[in-house]
Amino acid sequence: MLEVENLTVAYGKHIALDNASISVQAGQMVAILGANGAGKSSLLGAIGGRARPQSGVIRYNGQSLLDMPAHKLAEHGIALVPEGRGIFPGLSVEENLRLGAIPKRAREGATETLAEVFNLFPKLAERRGQIAGTMSGGEQQMVAIGRALMSNPEILLLDEPSLGLAPIVVKEVFSALTRIRAKGLTIVIVEQNARATLALADYVYLVEVGRITGSGPAEEIKSNPSVERAFLGGAVAPVNA
Amino acid sequence: MILTTLILGLVLGSTYALLALGLTLQYGIARIMNLAYGELTLVGAFVLVAVFQQLGLSPLIAMILIAPAGYALGWFLYQGMMRPLVKRSGARGRLEVDSILATFGLLFLIQGILLMLFGANFTSISYLDRGVNVLGVSVALNRLIAFGICVVAGGALVLALAKTRWGLIMRAVALTPGSAPLVGIDVNKVARQGFALGTALAVVAGASIAMYQTFSATDGVVFTMKALVIVIMGGVGNVKGALVAGIALGLLETFVATAIDPGLTLAATFAIFLVVLLWRPQGLFGAR
Repeated sequence: MLEVENLTVAYGKHIALDNASISVQAGQMVAILGANGAGKSSLLGAIGGRARPQSGVIRYNGQSLLDMPAHKLAEHGIALVPEGRGIFPGLSVEENLRLGAIPKRAREGATETLAEVFNLFPKLAERRGQIAGTMSGGEQQMVAIGRALMSNPEILLLDEPSLGLAPIVVKEVFSALTRIRAKGLTIVIVEQNARATLALADYVYLVEVGRITGSGPAEEIKSNPSVERAFLGGAVAPVNA
Repeated sequence: MILTTLILGLVLGSTYALLALGLTLQYGIARIMNLAYGELTLVGAFVLVAVFQQLGLSPLIAMILIAPAGYALGWFLYQGMMRPLVKRSGARGRLEVDSILATFGLLFLIQGILLMLFGANFTSISYLDRGVNVLGVSVALNRLIAFGICVVAGGALVLALAKTRWGLIMRAVALTPGSAPLVGIDVNKVARQGFALGTALAVVAGASIAMYQTFSATDGVVFTMKALVIVIMGGVGNVKGALVAGIALGLLETFVATAIDPGLTLAATFAIFLVVLLWRPQGLFGAR
């Protein structure tokens, strides 16, 4: 469904991502794990049209995404929840969600999708009139994920949904992801929270200093002792550093 | 006396509110600080006079033609002149400086064209200038029609911004342009629409001013400054604020003109402007 080949992303002289290749099959949940600054977000940002790669290929259902302006991606069923969430803090929760349904592919079933999102995040239904920027970080993350779902996506790209959230809220977000995943949506998730992500994902890529250093089914990665040390032990950079 | 001031002030204020709405749309959505805004207003005023005098067209029918023509003018101005500036500006500050310089040039370009075509004399038309009794106050019919146009145009815009999907998209781009592509919004297209719509409001406001007021080809800067004062008083990008501040300014000017001295209206405007700028730079209705 999604093929990334030899992707290099650089900011000036700093190479954030070096020659990375990943592949995502329909219906899969793929996790990209790595420490802070490893290049995970650059990878996801390039797929989601937020970062311009130096070189490489990104193909989605056979079509190159690199020639496509960022605003066209939603129409092709690609929804990105970026780092920092990218919501509209000055608008209400409901307005944020309604904006998610702007792509033509999302308009027809928008009412049903809104009900589903409220079902998934009951808190958003309670606070539908609240200005999104006045909510807690976890609630804003729910708005961002809910808005992405409103676009009726085929593939959901999540950039560190647990970043900066309290552990109990992280749990809530991951339990929502479990339910989203159960609907069969293809998901690519970038995370520092390796343990929770490994419990959900089908396939995992490990990123270290701009390079993909390992990959495999989540089950294998989980039981690999060197991965255990690097990604699940105490060596991971603190969240919200 | 007070009632007269109130009614005349409301009529003038509605035109000011419409004038400011256009500027706040251009700045809020397209991020263009348009110093040639008042000249665009004058284009509307002169076109109305020209079609009225040359073609004998009723100003009301002319208005229906002027509004879309203004939209088209704004569309081409944005595409031809502003888009290259937007394209090369990375950060927001650069676009503001560039657009101020570019529209400062545009100001003199349009002014020159207007002077060439219409001369430097004061222009006015006499159209329905008989008095109508409003609550015991005699108000010229042309003023009432201008008032009606401003209320309808301004009200329709405010409703559309608040209630429609289109309005939601406009507000989203005005507030957080960086997030707009995530939901499939083409920011460039919306900015062009915002600028074009702002231009349409400028020419409609100008045309309605021409229905009851004398003006000349060098008056543009006064309109720009008044619109700017209202926008800043109402809070930049705040549509409701612009409406209220516009009407307040109309009332104030009328009050100063009748109670103190007509020559002091502009001075009063800028005194208020300075007070707001010094003590409430976020606007009368801004939070922060």
